[in-house]
Amino acid sequence: MKVAVILRQVPDVVEELVIADDGRTLSEEDVMYITNEGDEHALEEALLLKARHAAPVTAFGVGGEEAKDALATAVAKGADEAVFVRSTPDARGDNASLAARLAGPLKTGGYGLVLTGVHAADQLDAGLGGLLAVQLAAPYVGGLTTVHVDVAGAKAVVQKEYAGGRLGVMEVDLPAVLGVQSAEQPPRYVSVGKVTQARRTLQASELSVPSMTVPGVRARALLRPESGAHAKMLEGDADHVAAEIVALVKERGLL
Amino acid sequence: MLAQEKPVDLDRGSESDNATKAFLVRLSRLPEGTKLSACLQCGMCSGSCPLGYAMDINPRQMIAYLRAGRIDDLYRSDSIWLCVSCFNCSFRCPSGIPITDRLIAGLREELLAGGVGVPPELQAAFEKTARYGNPFGESPKKRDAWTRDAGVNIRVLGPGDSADVLWWVGCFGAYNRRNRKDTVAMARVLTALGVDFGILGTDERCSGDVRCTSQGEEGLFDALYRHNVGQLARRKFKEVLVGDPHAYNAFTKEYSRLGTPLRVKHYTQFLAERAPELRKRMKHAIPAKVTYHDACCLGRRNGEYEAPRVVLETIPGVKVVEMPRNRENALCCGGGGGANWLDSFIWERTRVPLPIQRVQEAAKTGADILAVSCPLEIPRFEDAIKTSGLEGRLRVREISDMLAEAMGLAEGRAA
Amino acid sequence: MNPGVVVVAEHERGELADITLEMLACAREVADAAHWPLTCVILAAHAQPFQALPLAADRVLVLEGPGLEGFSPDAYLRVLVPALKGLGPGLVLLGNTGVGMDLAGPLCALLGATAVAGCTRVQVQGSTVVCTSRLYGGKLLAQSELPVGSAVALLLPGSYPRKRGMQNGVPKVEVHAAAASGPLRVRFRELIEPKLDDVDVRKVPVLVAAGRGLQSKENLGILDDLARTLGGAVCATRPVVDQGWLPRSRQVGRSGMTVKPRLYLALGISGAPEHIEGMKESDLIVAVNTDPDAPIFDVAHYGATVDLLDLVPALTDRLRAAKGGT
Repeated sequence: MKVAVILRQVPDVVEELVIADDGRTLSEEDVMYITNEGDEHALEEALLLKARHAAPVTAFGVGGEEAKDALATAVAKGADEAVFVRSTPDARGDNASLAARLAGPLKTGGYGLVLTGVHAADQLDAGLGGLLAVQLAAPYVGGLTTVHVDVAGAKAVVQKEYAGGRLGVMEVDLPAVLGVQSAEQPPRYVSVGKVTQARRTLQASELSVPSMTVPGVRARALLRPESGAHAKMLEGDADHVAAEIVALVKERGLL
Repeated sequence: MLAQEKPVDLDRGSESDNATKAFLVRLSRLPEGTKLSACLQCGMCSGSCPLGYAMDINPRQMIAYLRAGRIDDLYRSDSIWLCVSCFNCSFRCPSGIPITDRLIAGLREELLAGGVGVPPELQAAFEKTARYGNPFGESPKKRDAWTRDAGVNIRVLGPGDSADVLWWVGCFGAYNRRNRKDTVAMARVLTALGVDFGILGTDERCSGDVRCTSQGEEGLFDALYRHNVGQLARRKFKEVLVGDPHAYNAFTKEYSRLGTPLRVKHYTQFLAERAPELRKRMKHAIPAKVTYHDACCLGRRNGEYEAPRVVLETIPGVKVVEMPRNRENALCCGGGGGANWLDSFIWERTRVPLPIQRVQEAAKTGADILAVSCPLEIPRFEDAIKTSGLEGRLRVREISDMLAEAMGLAEGRAA
Repeated sequence: MNPGVVVVAEHERGELADITLEMLACAREVADAAHWPLTCVILAAHAQPFQALPLAADRVLVLEGPGLEGFSPDAYLRVLVPALKGLGPGLVLLGNTGVGMDLAGPLCALLGATAVAGCTRVQVQGSTVVCTSRLYGGKLLAQSELPVGSAVALLLPGSYPRKRGMQNGVPKVEVHAAAASGPLRVRFRELIEPKLDDVDVRKVPVLVAAGRGLQSKENLGILDDLARTLGGAVCATRPVVDQGWLPRSRQVGRSGMTVKPRLYLALGISGAPEHIEGMKESDLIVAVNTDPDAPIFDVAHYGATVDLLDLVPALTDRLRAAKGGT
């Protein structure tokens, strides 16, 4: 069984997000990229499957040049193959177009499992996994925290998160597309030295399928959330704030 | 439920032997790495290690295990991560074995390379430092945000600029709220003394501090070193001033070993040279008994014990009292070697946490103020004072903070 | 056919989920403004629990079939796609939940529609559906347009008031048999309940909530002291639980518990939508975060930007003193 993981580069929210003059896009100058958190978890889950089933892992890195760094990190962590999917900022958050673009290579790749994060920080439209699944005529389920594969039975047994901390156990026939919420263990560490070396020796093939835009949704405006109802801010140092909170607590009869 | 763990094979004899040999060969290529073979098994290291009692394999035993070709046992032990990089062992070893910087660091590096057994909190600190240039995960663009409310003009040196003194502010000084007033204090003291100084601003990144914070992450140190040296090369300055003894250690030892000798001074050394000027500018007395905690990276590692005391004695009203464990016998605050991020891990395995022991020792001297010269100590000792119930009896203060107050420069500082 | 709004209901154990009522509230607003009919579609193994509910819909369509016991996206899609093709709605509402997010992509691909996820507001203006949605963990909002007739919007829980999803009287209910669909490729097996340790955070009147701003596991000790002084318990956001600092039973948020305590003290929590969902109905929310722009302050009643590590011990001391030095 082969496993494919889709790693998307998204703007890092540690940096301030600046809306460009057109009011619809982010100012590229200020954007620092990071791998989408859900996709990091998808990679971790893929590497766990590799350890259990000797399943080769192919990482698809979507983004600009920074995606190559993400691929180097994935390879340093244990991915066997890297594919660079060059993508420009205007394609950001458009999962429908990305699904259309990746469909061909994923089909011909013969993957038993395609894993990606159930959600991307920058996504506007529906989740990538579900859209990809239809392109590949494969089943899809997302929000997963565990993926176990029964290779002989050609199916996966997964756990899907529900509200209230409940987990739904489901069976999925392979080949399938799965949307990972969080991996069974936190994404593993890989030393900077290993990544640097992987970067030097990286042999990533570049996806020849060009970027495409399918009719879909585009943001007509980006806005800062209005603080409509905003908290009444308590001023002063910690001691002063503590006194005010005690007063509130007493007022509400909570003491 | 999870992947099957491979069963432990106790009879791995030759494999472990080979791994041990490979490790020792690697070590032998580093400065003083061959000294391990000179170990007398005297136990001075284990005896002087503040956490030796909690290690299932203490430093002396680690060397014994290596001699027996059993590096695998060391990898499985937690002991490697209990080291707080206090340097007591290395300082006292009669054979001069660089235990902290070669043995412990080397073992950690192997584990990190294998991605095995590394405490996740430390991993997170490494990841953040690699990505953002500071272990807090704060935006690199905000590294000089502190200068806005400093109350004095602080020159940010761009490429091509020059100043007499390049002040290396450091991650804690720049980002950590609890150290901010001390950084501002430093800026004001330097300004009052008429020092021609500048900072790198957002071009500054973690010093790498490999023998303390990034222990084991050679790749990370390398990347930081190359960045910082590149930035330093584009400015002209006569000397580098650091507030953080860890950076002092990195610049003094590692940066020069790697080919970038720098004239570095810790701020207490810089100011001690100017003691007469400081005295002239004193406006207020601080009538207090003050005990000074010798920072490991300044003291044992680099032999500087007197400068901080000289600076303290310029402050009118200050009476310096010594803790029993002072100078080369100082008890580590427990924050070095990445331990600042491993407190949970370490305190689960030890009895009284080190910072608590230290503040209790300070309180016993009858001191009102525990003076420090390392930014890590402010949050560590402040928390320990609260936990020990010493609040109101003992106060921890950075020397720069005390100077600023005594020189009448402390007004209007945002906390 | 008059384009209408269709709400795809979510339910569990015979009860409609809160998100369904919120979607109905949103749909009601849209339907009233555009003069469209509103149909609520419920897929279930048994229609009976849903046949007399006072929902704010014009029509309730229950599709009943054995394969719909438990949620399987495969089973749902096989019934939903033909049903929606038959209804030809102008707008379909799904929950931005584990269920809705599984259905959205395939539904869009199979119906030739487009979705906007993470919506907080949905309106119809002429032949356009306008959606306001959250991006980047709530740090930015996007406004997007979809053409009526091929629009799917995923609504974030908590965006509309539940009570407006209900009305006096029961709308017309139709029950149809959902065709047996043959072997499913995604099969629901069972639901595992969370292991509760000693505390059920849903039953506690005061919650002291820890977020990433807590910085390290040791700091939980001072939070514990505070919680005990207030007669409450410590809970946490997902990242804190993921790090293993607290068990999963203490997690509050979309994939954890939903709580409504009398006092919710959010400490070092930024306020990502997933967390807000789980606590926004608390009686009194006091948030402490050193970032004045943290989204948590939009939902909190009171806030402060002091360091929580300074505040918590001070607060505990003062509370103890106020209680009479316990």
